[in-house]
Amino acid sequence: MTTPVRIQQADFSQDEEIAALKASSTRMGGIATFLGCARDFSDGRSVSEISFEAYGSMALAEMNKLRNEAIARFGLLDARIVHRVTTVQAGDNIVFIAAGAEHRAAAFDGCRWMIDELKQRVPIWKKEITPEGEAWVTQHP
Amino acid sequence: MIKVLFFGPVADRIQTREMSFEATPGITVSDIIARIAAQHPGALDMVSFIAVNQEQVQDRQTLLRDGDEVALMAKFSGG
Repeated sequence: MTTPVRIQQADFSQDEEIAALKASSTRMGGIATFLGCARDFSDGRSVSEISFEAYGSMALAEMNKLRNEAIARFGLLDARIVHRVTTVQAGDNIVFIAAGAEHRAAAFDGCRWMIDELKQRVPIWKKEITPEGEAWVTQHP
Repeated sequence: MIKVLFFGPVADRIQTREMSFEATPGITVSDIIARIAAQHPGALDMVSFIAVNQEQVQDRQTLLRDGDEVALMAKFSGG
């Protein structure tokens, strides 16, 4: 069984993550997930690849804090956060977040909160590689 | 020694990923930033977040000690 919070190069399986989440409690009645994937355009330019870099030890610690806070704040039964740090192409998976709760409202709210907080708090940066050159993204829409 | 780490856009701008400074008594985050800025003018303009030992700090007067790890970071763009 994989740990619920991970930073990894390799792709992840949403089915495996959801199965692991479900296995944590039979009281779970609602699971909300967010899958972030790579777009082939940004600010009107085509993007051929996106490269990620992380402050690994701090990023993992912040992601664990985020999960613990989300569980406490929304009364979740369990949650998982997986972020890839590698170079991806259009359509490739980047981040997966899952929130499991007794009912759907807490699952939706917890999932939304975790991805919004991740973008603000977790030290990961993306660089867009375009036909015109490379550029780090320094805002988080 | 105090280790200072740079990532992503800041590392590209400053053209290194790590620097070390002697842990003199009373040295602060602000002192370190001033020394780096003197060597690399403008290179830290995009720094929005500072961490000491993987914990974010707001106060640039935070005192540093031998063995501390400081990260000077641009706005995050993960997810």
